[in-house]
Amino acid sequence: MSAYISKVGKGYIIISTLISMIIILLILGVLFLSSYDAIHGGGWRLFTLTWNPPNNQFGILPMLYGSLVVTVISLVIAVPLGIFTAIFTSEILHPKYRIYVKSFLELLAGIPSIIYGLIGVAFFSVWVGELFHLQSGRTIFTAAVLLSIMILPTIITLCDDAIHHVPQKYREVAKGLGLYKHEVIITSVLPIAKTDIIGAVLLALGRALGETMAVMLVIGSIDKIPTPIYNLLAPGQTITSKLGREIAESAFSSIHFSAMVFMGMILLIIVLALTFIAQQFLKSGQRLYE
Amino acid sequence: MKIYYVSVLILLFAIITGCNASKKEAILCAGATTVLPVVSNAAEQFKLTHQDVNIMVNAGGSGVGINLLGEQNIQIGMISRNITQKEIEKYPDVHFVTHPIGKDAVVPVISSEIYDAGIMALTIEQIAKIYKGEIKNWKEVGGPDKEILAVDKEMSRGTRHVFMKIVLGNEEAAAPGADLVLGSNNEEQTAIAQSDAAIGMLSNAWINGDVKGLSIILANGEVVEPTLENIINGKFPITRNLLLITNGEPQGEIKEFIDFIKSPGGQKIVEQAGYVSLYQ
Amino acid sequence: MNRRVKNNLFLAVCWSAAILCTLILSFLLSVIILNGAKTINPDFLLSNSRNFGAEGGIFYQMIGSVLLISGAAFISLPIAIGTALCKSEYVKNPVLQKISNMMIYGLNGIPSVIFGIFGLIFFVNFLNTGISWFVGSIILAIMIIPTIVLSSYQSMSSIPRMYRESAYALGMDKWKVITKVILPQGIQGAITGLFLGLARAVGETAPVMFIATAFSGVKLPGSLFQPVTALPTHILTLAQQATNTQALQNAWGASLVLILVFFIFSLSALFIRITLQPVSQR
Repeated sequence: MSAYISKVGKGYIIISTLISMIIILLILGVLFLSSYDAIHGGGWRLFTLTWNPPNNQFGILPMLYGSLVVTVISLVIAVPLGIFTAIFTSEILHPKYRIYVKSFLELLAGIPSIIYGLIGVAFFSVWVGELFHLQSGRTIFTAAVLLSIMILPTIITLCDDAIHHVPQKYREVAKGLGLYKHEVIITSVLPIAKTDIIGAVLLALGRALGETMAVMLVIGSIDKIPTPIYNLLAPGQTITSKLGREIAESAFSSIHFSAMVFMGMILLIIVLALTFIAQQFLKSGQRLYE
Repeated sequence: MKIYYVSVLILLFAIITGCNASKKEAILCAGATTVLPVVSNAAEQFKLTHQDVNIMVNAGGSGVGINLLGEQNIQIGMISRNITQKEIEKYPDVHFVTHPIGKDAVVPVISSEIYDAGIMALTIEQIAKIYKGEIKNWKEVGGPDKEILAVDKEMSRGTRHVFMKIVLGNEEAAAPGADLVLGSNNEEQTAIAQSDAAIGMLSNAWINGDVKGLSIILANGEVVEPTLENIINGKFPITRNLLLITNGEPQGEIKEFIDFIKSPGGQKIVEQAGYVSLYQ
Repeated sequence: MNRRVKNNLFLAVCWSAAILCTLILSFLLSVIILNGAKTINPDFLLSNSRNFGAEGGIFYQMIGSVLLISGAAFISLPIAIGTALCKSEYVKNPVLQKISNMMIYGLNGIPSVIFGIFGLIFFVNFLNTGISWFVGSIILAIMIIPTIVLSSYQSMSSIPRMYRESAYALGMDKWKVITKVILPQGIQGAITGLFLGLARAVGETAPVMFIATAFSGVKLPGSLFQPVTALPTHILTLAQQATNTQALQNAWGASLVLILVFFIFSLSALFIRITLQPVSQR
């Protein structure tokens, strides 16, 4: 009897492990099969500028551009701000308060993105519109600012961990040499924490690329690369906002649908690559909850 | 752990008994936001007399409604335009049957600031030029010196089909002059109200104090206001039927529900929502 | 520039970055709390939504969200615990460990909208389930499996070797060791992970909006294969009509409720992590 139960138990463990291992392959496989029509029928024509389903034009470059630009700008805003704040929480702030600040930040990091979207529509897009005298505040810039705020807590708390994990002796030695605090931080703490910080930024990058709801509500959803190309105060489109708005409109198994899934697959591959690279940097690993 | 297994069993039991106990029929509807208020209000009233029926209504747009019905994920599609030939060919197994439930106009709308500055009517040609990107400033049509924010809609939306067919001549025409692309009537209404120089397209029922309906100047010079009267007598050029679609002739509760919307009681809901009923 | 000035400048930059972040983040919270608090009252919580959600309350949206995440919890917990057990008790090969880690981190990194598309293709269209809350639960369960696996694996692998060796010395077989020694010690990690996962799942919009939710007329689903209505998708609908003051008010109310639910789950995870510490770590 006991042997029988043991067998059942082992079976349960193996089956559940297989399930959780296979899911990711299943997702990749399903996306690949569904985007096969677009790859096969479209080929390089997918990488053009015009998206117009009725004319069978499925150029995804505007969406790629949007995703790239929105993510890069949000990182340009959030990374310096986040790293300086992390230096503050780990090096300057009294250690007694660090735990409270950190719990607060970790709570903020998990606020549902739809709520950021609501705040974006109700405040940010209106402010951006008034500030720059635009007709509409739904722009690439608005989306980038909103995203930078969304990833800020993640960056702060991961960088704070990275800096905090630098052993105390390095600081003491540097201090013993008569260095000022900023020199201690710049010359001995940050170089040691560097790989973890890079890992943190890569994770934030992945999160920003995959963010859907908040971006979708404030970006304006025009499938065009703005003119001139650096005009950030123009509406645009990211892969995620395109998917969120249009996937239900395209008929299942049409080329249109297939091209949408193809975009999703590109996004997935980029994000997965980022995740794996980030894991190589974050050797201390195991920080999954952000 | 024991507690966990017991509670799983209880939940499973509850779900299974729940499924068997409530023999509630569920009717799923999805599609145009234009038709949605009518159907969802009608569903509320219908449920008062048919307590064993559950009707769920989802938004998404006419294109979504047709796709979901084509894939047989819903029982009733709500559309605010005609089904295109392409869509019929896409689903050879599905026999689309349409049921008109009312009439509506698609009205070119502008921000109240522009309306108050004197622009109350435009010709179809002027509107077309705005959406083609040839007219970019309100002063070119006699308004204040402000750039035009042309608000477009997602390609498969019924409102856009009907509007673009009249304005640009093709229901799926691209609008290179558009500055924003949005989805539902609510979302478009919000963007136009937030802006002070926007033009867009909305169902007649969504016009309010912040979002003003434009009159249309016909070729003979006559100015037609978007009033119910002009929609009823057919003078207003951009009108459409509000339709429900089913796969084959509806049966049972679905038929009863559609008949209810077509009945005088149901048509009152159509009128309350700001549309023209079948009897007018 | 001398070193003292540089030092002060550096500290000033850090201080101002921290103050800026605090201002931004407290602005976010206060907007939601202040606006939401005006809306929330028993009537709002207990009545049905009407008129595109602009009137009435969010009762069925809350029920729907609860259904979605409890479904997700019941599906994900056993699978994740099994996986964690396998990782900690069976897999000794470092290459396999590495591969399984890659799979789990990869799954955790997948953008939420991709889960939605996967659910749409695989369940709604391929398996032909239709728009159904149960499919939504499955997708949410898949999303939170990595969190639970890693959290349980952490607490299982921190069980001292001595415990296992003593158990084997008593003549227990592997399964006995797992049920009598590993699970009681590791369950705390699993529950912590579960709550963290649920805190994330309850606010997810993109995965459920194509596959599990309907807009109106939804009360309690009569079977597994019917849609529900949920808080995040409700907020989405309301956010799209943000100039309608009534709708916006209700959106803030729904957001506050959603955030409170999220906080409750996160804080319980924290609480469990602290209080339910296994004997071996006390």
